[in-house]
Amino acid sequence: MFINQQIEINNLPEISSVELKPISKNYFKIIILNKAVLYAIVIGLLITGKFKIQEEAFQDNFIYIVGLVIIGCLLNFILSLLAFKKRKYAIRDKDVIYSKGLLVNSITTVPISRIQHIEESRSWLARKLNLATLKIFTAGESGSDLKIDGLPLEEARKINDFLSTRVNESI
Amino acid sequence: MKASDFSKPIRQSSKGIIIIFAFNAYNFVRRFFVLFIAFGISLTKKKTFAHVTPTVIFLVIIGILIVLLVLAILKYLNFKFYLSKDDFHLSTGIINKDNTIISKSKIQNVYIKQNFLQQIINVVSLNIETAGDNKSEISIKALDKPTALKLKKELFTKSNSTETLTDVVESRNVFFRVSLKRLFLEGISQNHLRSFLIITSFVFGLYYEFKDYFRDLKLKQGLEELIHLDKESLLNIIIINTVFILVAILISLLFSVLKTVVTNFNLEVVENQKTIEINKGLFNKVSLSLTPSRIQNIVIKTNRIKRYFDLHTLSVKQAMVTVKQRKNFVIIALEKEQLKHLVDKLLVNYTSAIERSNPKGYYKRILALNMFALALIINVPGFILFGNIMWYINIALVLFSVLYVTVTYRKAFYKIDDQFLTIGSGFIDTTTNILEIHKIQAVKLKQTIFQKRIQISSVIISTASKSVKIPYVSETEAKSIYDYLLFKVESQNRDWM
Repeated sequence: MFINQQIEINNLPEISSVELKPISKNYFKIIILNKAVLYAIVIGLLITGKFKIQEEAFQDNFIYIVGLVIIGCLLNFILSLLAFKKRKYAIRDKDVIYSKGLLVNSITTVPISRIQHIEESRSWLARKLNLATLKIFTAGESGSDLKIDGLPLEEARKINDFLSTRVNESI
Repeated sequence: MKASDFSKPIRQSSKGIIIIFAFNAYNFVRRFFVLFIAFGISLTKKKTFAHVTPTVIFLVIIGILIVLLVLAILKYLNFKFYLSKDDFHLSTGIINKDNTIISKSKIQNVYIKQNFLQQIINVVSLNIETAGDNKSEISIKALDKPTALKLKKELFTKSNSTETLTDVVESRNVFFRVSLKRLFLEGISQNHLRSFLIITSFVFGLYYEFKDYFRDLKLKQGLEELIHLDKESLLNIIIINTVFILVAILISLLFSVLKTVVTNFNLEVVENQKTIEINKGLFNKVSLSLTPSRIQNIVIKTNRIKRYFDLHTLSVKQAMVTVKQRKNFVIIALEKEQLKHLVDKLLVNYTSAIERSNPKGYYKRILALNMFALALIINVPGFILFGNIMWYINIALVLFSVLYVTVTYRKAFYKIDDQFLTIGSGFIDTTTNILEIHKIQAVKLKQTIFQKRIQISSVIISTASKSVKIPYVSETEAKSIYDYLLFKVESQNRDWM
């Protein structure tokens, strides 16, 4: 029988009442390492600049430039630390939720019935730290795909299994 | 004509050799175009090039043509397709054999196309497209028309329902055919800036390719002399510039009109029982069928001038369609009544009667900020280049900004009902975006740190063809939209394709 019940908007499951789970703290080590490499490259470039560029304006103000770059790096680091705490996820019965971003915060939800396939990828570092990245692909544009970094391997496997069975059920 | 039976592997029409050959030759020439030109130029200068005489070149060209022909024949011989109960099978490849199987239920589109050459030798090409990536597209280059139509019909016929075959033929009803006059109007009222940009980039590209050649002709010097002479009177410069701009506008206009007329010549929309068929084109004839269930988004566009002439454009977005094909899903020059009818056909039960909701006034602030950034980008280099005279441009800029902000804000709205989501936007154009809620792939809530303080948020909704945004509504509103859309998608258990 076809039922078309009236929906009480207030009774719908709410996104704000979902308890989002933070990703593994270990992932921050990967971020630190990546950032460290980036900063090293920037500072390395500056130092080579010191020997290669003969321009006076550059040489005179070298110390200020270095200072600015270091402050920039520090700010960047603090921001990524704060942003890291915003990386959260949740699995509901019918969908997957991922939230991220400090300056621009976004919460994306992909209904399980719309998932096309799931990919679990682990970089070398992630393998060392026992972490995994879960990529969830939909049929939409790349904007609607989800990528959850830094899940503990156990957790990632569990989620992967759960989602896979759910996806297959719905077909 | 032989009765076409698709159950056994068959080749395309033998005229396909010509088509494949022409395609290959064209691609070959296009790829080495620059090389040819350079070669030709140096040849005209020196008569010989690295001890190569014209006879040798002639022989080389003949050789290349023969190779291309042989390849075409081999390709033709190895190109076979057939239909089984639920699938379409295709085997291709001269050395690497490829076998493609597409299940009928996954076919998104079937186009029939006819380019100029195909029109001359009276064959059509048939393209089959799925929602996969671009490479999965199948193209049969040469079929005679009855075969192609029959194949198309069989591709759209599900294995269990044989009766639809006859039904489709009967209920064929040409519902809209564009007149030449309306095509002209459509061309005139188009966005000429785009045509202008296309032409400019084309001219620049041409100039860049032939830069050396131009230098030989001393064209640049001549031009410089011309300008130099005129520098004596300011008036002349102004006149030259105005004439130049007028000519540019005229060419853009002509280009727009020509392009519109050529690509949409004889545009007609045919209503079948289940599908809608679009036929159009002068040199490149295209015919394609739309299945309503495959449509992801519908975009309706018009602008002030077009509305005056009662011209509306409807574009249909499907999943993962290549950019080139996307243009074919545009139906232009629709009257309001026809538009309404078509929307009703494509989106069953669609009503536009519900109340509009508007974004928060914060949206204006964002728009103004955008304009401010633009002004900054214009002003800073402008000031460095032209000095204080530059400031006057800001009067125009401020007026434009005010207009932009108010108009854009006024046009922005969204409507949500039980089945559909409608979003309006645009500045010069008035754009209306309609999508069925059960086609949503993902929903996203977006909020910057500044918006968090004043509790404003945007909702981004992705379907398989594009993402749309409900900009800057209050946080509670955004969340309830978010919850509602997700609830709708998850509770219905309807497929998106």
